[in-house]
Amino acid sequence: MLRVRKLSLRYPNGKLALSDFDLAVAAGEFVVVLGGNGSGKTTLLRCVTRTVKPSDGEIWLGKTDLCALEGEKLRCARLALAMIWQHASLVRRRSVLSNVASGALGRNFGLRTALGGLPKAELEAARGYLAEVGLASLADQRAGTLSGGQAQRVAIARALAQRPQVLLADEPVASLDPEAAEEIMRLLQRLARLENIAVVCVLHQVELAYAYADRVVGIRDGRMVFDLPRGEVSREAVHRLYLPEAA
Amino acid sequence: MSADFAAHHRERVGAQAWRRALTSAFRCVLALIGIAIIVQAFIVVQARPQDLITGVHGMADLIRRAMPPDFSQLPSTFWPTLQTIDIALFGTLVGIVIALPLALLAASNMTPSRSVYYAARGIIGFTRAVPDLVWALLFVTAVGLGPFPGGLALGVHSVGMLGRLFAETIEQMDMAPIHALELTGARRIQVFSHGIIPSILPSLLGITLYRLDENIRSSLVLGFVGAGGIGFQLLTAMNLFQYQEVSLLLIIIFVIVLGAERISAELRQRLA
Repeated sequence: MLRVRKLSLRYPNGKLALSDFDLAVAAGEFVVVLGGNGSGKTTLLRCVTRTVKPSDGEIWLGKTDLCALEGEKLRCARLALAMIWQHASLVRRRSVLSNVASGALGRNFGLRTALGGLPKAELEAARGYLAEVGLASLADQRAGTLSGGQAQRVAIARALAQRPQVLLADEPVASLDPEAAEEIMRLLQRLARLENIAVVCVLHQVELAYAYADRVVGIRDGRMVFDLPRGEVSREAVHRLYLPEAA
Repeated sequence: MSADFAAHHRERVGAQAWRRALTSAFRCVLALIGIAIIVQAFIVVQARPQDLITGVHGMADLIRRAMPPDFSQLPSTFWPTLQTIDIALFGTLVGIVIALPLALLAASNMTPSRSVYYAARGIIGFTRAVPDLVWALLFVTAVGLGPFPGGLALGVHSVGMLGRLFAETIEQMDMAPIHALELTGARRIQVFSHGIIPSILPSLLGITLYRLDENIRSSLVLGFVGAGGIGFQLLTAMNLFQYQEVSLLLIIIFVIVLGAERISAELRQRLA
């Protein structure tokens, strides 16, 4: 579903943030990316979403090379690519339901959506996605009143409303308590299985990676260190990802 | 060793004393400059406090002639009062319609390019820098006497006032939900209507209500330059020495200003 080949990103100051990075994630697979601060995890996701343009390499989403796209074509390709962040990034003054349904804006363009409205069918579908993340009862509540865990689940529901083929998550549990973090990870794992979505999740919590990932990818200094099924990833290999430069 | 230390200590004490003396002298100079500024202001405005005392008699005579207010003129004040409020309303609406897109171009986090940013900021700065009374004079010359030039004057001046505050509100907005919407594949207009507007709407409404309140005050004065409303009637009554009508109009102005201020404050509090 998602294939990254020889991906490199060099910043204008000469620093190499990603170097010859290869990654393939199949539909329904849940891949966790581990690495220390500044190792290139988030940069990898930003390249995949094309928020930044890679210096070199290819990003294949199905049969489309995202690196070759710009403007309207890139916008259309992004419809298949959903993203969730450490903070839920909801529009706080809108209802939970509207926030979820706004995930479907990309494929619904008309006067109604241009003026801030949402199609009834999408609002109905959004109720379903909210039920899927266990928050159906909060549909009419303002997004700004939610707890961190609830907001993150709404962000996941919004991603579902996008009907993505690939879901990218950048430290989605970093600001949550352990219980809420487990809940989010369970949800992401379930979505990968049931909705057949390729999930790439950047994490710092090694234990969560061992518990939920199908595959674990280790990254250090912008290079892939390992890409293994979770059962084959040794504690020592993970530990080495976080060692200081000199060690 | 101890002689060296004593010499060093003496040097330090001496330097500190000098520093203290210099600081005191600097403060004295600053105080003198402050006093000089205040004195020149009194001289330039030709302030004559004694005239206030001798003028009390004339003022008392004016108040005596203005009392009681001529309430029989009340029905004839209805139309100018409505005109005054409508001038402010029209001016505020014109201001919003022009200021909002201009503010988007003048907000550093939204503008498509630096040149557009500076152009938008320039327009906002210019319309704000020219006082509404001057705009009214210009529009009276252009479109003639009446409430329309008043409304236009307030509209153009409001573009500057609202534009700056709108742009600042947009710049302070949390951009994370906006980027999130952009990445869902939403188009620019959808990101605007679903992300930007809901995020900043309460602030924009608050600013607009405050501006409407300000515009109502301004529209009272615009009549003095022929731009219609109750100000024009006040000027006419004063020129005709009809002080009882003047006092009635002042009461009406007081009620309008106070009412607008209270309603605006109440609505803004509800929006917060």
